[in-house]
Formats: sequence, structure tokens, C-alpha cells
Amino acid sequence: MRTTIGLTAIAAAATLALTACGGSSASGNAPSNAPAGQGGDVTVTLTADGCQPSPASISSGAVNFKVSNKDAGAVSEAELLSGGQMLGEQENLTPGLDGGFSLELAKGDYQIYCPGAKQEKFDFHVTGDAAKSWKDNPTLVTATTDYGKWIVDQVNQLVTGTQAFADAVKAGDIDKAGVAYGQARVFYEKVEPVAEIWGDLDLNIDGRIDDFDNPADFKGFHKIEQAIFETKKLDGMGPVADELVKNVTSLQQLVAKAAYQPAEIANGATELVDEIQKTKVTGEEERYSHIDLVDFKANLDGSMEAFDVLLPALQKSAPDVAKTVQGRNAAVEAALKPYEQSPGYLNTGYVDYSTVTKDQQKVLSQAVNALGEAMSQVAAKVTQ
Amino acid sequence: MTSGVSRRALFSGLGALGIGGLVAADASASALTAENATQIVPFRADRQAGIVTPQQDRLTFAAFDVVTKDRGELVSLLKTWTTAAESMTKGDLVPGGEADLQAPPADTGEADGLKPGNLTVTVGFGPSLFDDRFGLTAKKPAALAPLPKLVPEQLDPAYTGGDLCVQACADDPQVTFHAVRNLARLGTGIVVLRWMQLGFGRTASTSSAQATPRNLMGFKDGTRNLRAEQTDLIDQNVWIGAETDQPWLRGGSYLVARRIRMFIENWDRDYLADQQNVFGRYKASGAPLGGAEEFDTPNLGSTDIPDDAHIRLASPEHNGGARLLRRGYSFTDGIDSTGNLLGGLFFIAFMKDPQQFVTVQKALAGDALNEYIQHIGSGLFACPPGVTDGQHWGQGMFT
Repeated sequence: MRTTIGLTAIAAAATLALTACGGSSASGNAPSNAPAGQGGDVTVTLTADGCQPSPASISSGAVNFKVSNKDAGAVSEAELLSGGQMLGEQENLTPGLDGGFSLELAKGDYQIYCPGAKQEKFDFHVTGDAAKSWKDNPTLVTATTDYGKWIVDQVNQLVTGTQAFADAVKAGDIDKAGVAYGQARVFYEKVEPVAEIWGDLDLNIDGRIDDFDNPADFKGFHKIEQAIFETKKLDGMGPVADELVKNVTSLQQLVAKAAYQPAEIANGATELVDEIQKTKVTGEEERYSHIDLVDFKANLDGSMEAFDVLLPALQKSAPDVAKTVQGRNAAVEAALKPYEQSPGYLNTGYVDYSTVTKDQQKVLSQAVNALGEAMSQVAAKVTQ
Repeated sequence: MTSGVSRRALFSGLGALGIGGLVAADASASALTAENATQIVPFRADRQAGIVTPQQDRLTFAAFDVVTKDRGELVSLLKTWTTAAESMTKGDLVPGGEADLQAPPADTGEADGLKPGNLTVTVGFGPSLFDDRFGLTAKKPAALAPLPKLVPEQLDPAYTGGDLCVQACADDPQVTFHAVRNLARLGTGIVVLRWMQLGFGRTASTSSAQATPRNLMGFKDGTRNLRAEQTDLIDQNVWIGAETDQPWLRGGSYLVARRIRMFIENWDRDYLADQQNVFGRYKASGAPLGGAEEFDTPNLGSTDIPDDAHIRLASPEHNGGARLLRRGYSFTDGIDSTGNLLGGLFFIAFMKDPQQFVTVQKALAGDALNEYIQHIGSGLFACPPGVTDGQHWGQGMFT
């Protein structure tokens, strides 16, 4: 999943979301963000020349397109397009037949498209109020503010933890550095999708050896992880630790000014679950230290924090989605439980992940997969 | 895309039907060409499709384990699966809400634009589903007992068993994969995939109209298979009737799946006469040894067909009349750790009672073919009857 700093364009486009055409019975969902308005009927007659809609402009709301073909042999369908995307269609109208489709349409510029006609595209406009924005929903505005504050707090702790880690590395205290490593990383793993917004910052903080074209460029947390746990020598790690502190401090400055949209927060929550499945369950990320379960739990906590700030709004827009996510999260927590240990491997509270068998990893993965699938449904429910 | 939008813009007669409830009902009727009609196997019927349906060319088979402990969630999934499968067999997308740029599409999309391909989706219930998790112990058919140890098998647990199975067959492999993938996705949190098998070519015919295909050993397979047109024999051997102790299962059938590895390299260096003796048929024509044409009845009284020939030991004459409706597929999963081809026959057969398979397989303990094959995976499932309007898979079992 790609992280974007601003989802304004996506959020605007999403307001085009439409209801099922033609009364398809399989879809019982109410339009998630239907614009208020009158709508009305629009007649589209297919001719050899084209498919001029009448009227060519209508107010937002439920719009019924009545399509007929009098005598156009080469034209048999009309589609409603928005930005090139088909929103609805009536196909297969040979001369003498009529049909139609219905949609909830928000304010905007559309086109009627009839392939095969002399002129294939005709403009169609919907007037009225602009679609609702999440900014009109105080619950969502609070959610974004709360999330921003939480991120700042986590990144502050990341900086403190990373400084302590760097101090241990520079003091040559390999045991202390090994423990401080996980204690710093937990904060990064909670906020990772946010860190990924800014260019190479994530690579420089959290990149793996395979992410660098030239292995000599390898840096960040995992470079020092390799030194502590694989080569077991901290020689030359001082400058690497200093640069790491510098990079997390940059992150601290960036998040202080950042703002988030609800859908972005929700997609970040899904991304964190994907992170668990791709790089934690597999043991990929912490290949030298095997503290993968720390990252696992941190990704999970970060994901659920994002979910929790959205929860008051989600409870109103899609309580069933909220309930499913909560149930699936509980299942992941339960699957993780057997691996808790006190004080645990390197004081992490968990066992060394290299002791978790492939079969056990599969069980973890299946629970995470179920959570991810549920979480992916949240973003669309918090757009307004 | 909306739930009812056809994935076949080219075949728009059915597309109009897919959009559903449109004024254009007459348009759809007039445009429903014979070609399109033959691509859709009716989903709603007294019996599940994918059993006596003329065997399609491709298979995706999946066994699932149920992970929820909530009976209601399982029932709800079977409803969702029924709706989704019905939609996909028509060539439509998986239903589930409107296009929304902030939500993942309900349908994964890879079958969008493909023909329905005679897709059938057939569901079965494994013995393990009837433990105490879902209150189904009293609904367990007595005949649904785990299969005994059978020669020549060395079963891999990773390819054996399962609470549920889904058999998706179509003439397009992507259509079959799409069906299983989407059902698996709809099942997240409720079921997990236990194992999965692709089959790239049918190795049987279930209709007299079909030619006999060849298996990976190069022999025609299924010459004496039951055919849909043999309705009396099908009733006697395939469909579960009044004899079952579970009324909900009447009109269903038992599915036995066996992942059968062929030792392909060894087989390929066996001399032709021996290959023919192993099967009891001529390799080129498919005729039984001593016969002239493929469909000649094998003369089992003759010494032309060796005592340990496959067709002799598998024959109904040798097994007290036991017959199976075979519906298997060739498969390959690349190579094994020693560099040999890993492939063979994914055997599927439908029957009135799993004992029919047990009887035949026990007779095959002395099969000359066993030198070249090994059963490495296995599943037994009770496939419920079909669903008529408003019903869902397994409804009878849960009431």
C-alpha cells in the first residue's frame, strides 16, 4: 500500500461513490455518502450521431437514466463516465429496445459515452452542493487531531529511546545496546506508515541490507542490529548510531507539523497489519535479533490506536465493521498470548522468535490476515 | 462496479440480466445467444452442479478448516458463499457494495471480462466438521467416516483432510482460481485454507458427448467412467438417496479426493508392452488388450489382460459392481527436492457411499500401476444437495 501525505484528491473522488444501478437486489447497502438533492430523470436516446443526454444538467441526488435506441444499428450502449471511470451503464440495446440505470450522483462533471456513434462522448453536469467533507464531522476532526497528538508523543519517545540506544552503542556496551534496541524500535514500529510519508527517511531508519543497492550504504537500526547480534562487534557503529539519532530527530520535526485525514489514518492501520504479515510473521525484519514479536505487537498497537481514534465515528457509520475489527484484533491478541514471557528474551516480554515454529507462524499469520481484511473496510466508512 | 455488473461486456445480453431488474428484460432475451447460454451451468437446482456436469477442462480445489467457534458465523459464511458462487457462475462479479475509491473492491477482478466458462462451484463437508464445535454431531452421516489406510499411500498431512471443500471447475483456469480465491477472501476470520490444488487438464469424461482425455502417463483415462446420460447407473452409484441416516444429505454425493503422484521419469522409461500391460489397454487406441476399439468391453476372461492390470482390478466386474463417477485432473507442482517432476493425477470421484471407493482401492492394492504411483494427499467430503431459490449451502444440515 502506498502512503500519501495528502489524500485530498482521493477523498474528493470518493464522493462519487454510487449506489447499485438498476436495483440489483444483491446489494443492500445504503449509499455511503449520497449527496442531498433532487436528482431526477435523464433521457438518453442512442442514435447513429450520438447520445445527447436530456437534460444535460441536473441537480445532485438520485438520477435515473432512461436509455433507448430508436434505430442506431452501430450503437448499443450508453455509459456514464467520471474521469474516465465507468459508473453505470446500459448495454445491449439493439434498435427498438429501451433500458436504463440509476445512480446517486454528487456535484461534478460527467460524460455519457456511447461507443460506435459518430460523436461518442457528451458532457453531463450535476449541480448542487459539493459533496460532504469529513471536515464537517466534528467526531472525525477530533479523531485526526487525537491521532496527530499520539504520533507526536510516540515519536518523542522514539527519539528518547534511540538516544539511549545510541549511547549504549557508543559506550561499547553490547548487552545494554541489545536490550535498548528493542526498547527504541517499538515506537518506530507503531508509527511506521507515517514515517514512510517522507522520502528516504524510512529507508534510512529502518531499511534492511537488501534495500540498499550497495551493501556499503546499509545504515539505520538494522545495520546496528546486525553488528550487535550477528557480528557481535560494535566497531564503527558510533557514526551509524549518530546518524540514526539525527534521522529520528528529523522525523520528530516533521510529524510536529503534519496533519492526517481519516481515510489516511485508516489505510495506515491496514498497512501496519500488512507489515506484520509480510515482515514480522516471517521473521524477515529482525533477522539478526529475533525480536520480531516486539515489532509484531508494536505494529498491532499502532494499527489499533489508529482504529481507536476513528472508532467514535465508525460506531456511527459502520458499527458492524467496528465490531468485526475488534473481534479479529482480540483473536490476534489471543494468538500472540502463548509467546508472552516475563521478563522475556532481551527483556522484551516475548520469546525469541527463532523458537516459534513454521506451523505456529502459520497460525499467527492466519489471525493477522483476518484482521487485515476487516481493517481494510474501515477507510471507506470514515470519509465524511 | 456494482454488484450486478456483468464481467462480460462482450456478452451483453447476459450483462443486462446481470445488472438486474432493468427495463431491458426483452433486450436480454433477444441477445441471449446459444453460445453464451452454453457457457453458464445453472447454479440453482436440486443437485449441486459440478458432479454430473460435463467435466470442464480446469480445476481449482481447496480444503478449508473452520477457525471460528461461532456456529452463526459459519452459517453466515455459507450464505455469503452461496450468493457469491451463484454470481460468479453467471460470469458476474462477487456482490458486495458499490465502487468506492477508499475501499478494496468486493471482487478481486481477475475474471472481469472473461466468459463464465461453465464455472461450477461445489461444496462438501469433511468428517471433522461434525465434531462438537458447531452442534453438528447428530447430523454426521454414518458413512462419513475417515478413510482407512489404503495401499499405495503415504499421505502428507499438509494435503489431507479439511472441514470444508470447494471444487471449482471451468474451462478457464483463471475463472476457477478466481472463484476459490474470492471464497477464501470472503471467509477470512471464519475459515482458513488448509490445502489447495490446481488441475490443468481433465482426466475423465462425465458425458457421452465428451472424448476421452489422456492422463499424464499418456493413456486414455476414464473410458469406462459413468456418464451423466446413464441416469439409472448414476442414481445407483452417485446420488445419496433414502439409504442415508441423514435426511439433509439426500440428493447429495460423497466426494473422495486423492492427490496421486506419478513417478513420471520411471514411467517414461518403461517399455511400451509393459506400460500397456500395466493398464490393460493399448496406449495409442485406448482399446482393451485383445480388443479393437476404445469402447470395446474388456474381455476380463482372457489372459490378454494380465491379472494385475489396472483396468481389471478397477473394473466393476472385479468389485461386486462398485462404480464411481470419476472427475479427476492432471496436476503438476513443479519439481520435488530431488529434481524429479512432481505431478500426477488429482483424483476426484463422486459416489453414493465412500465404501465404493474403499472397495475399489483395496482391490487396487495389487495393481501393477502401484510401482509408478503413490497417493500423497486425501480428502473425503459429504456434498450436500443443491440449493433452490432462497436456499443456501448446508441449510438442511443446520436446521
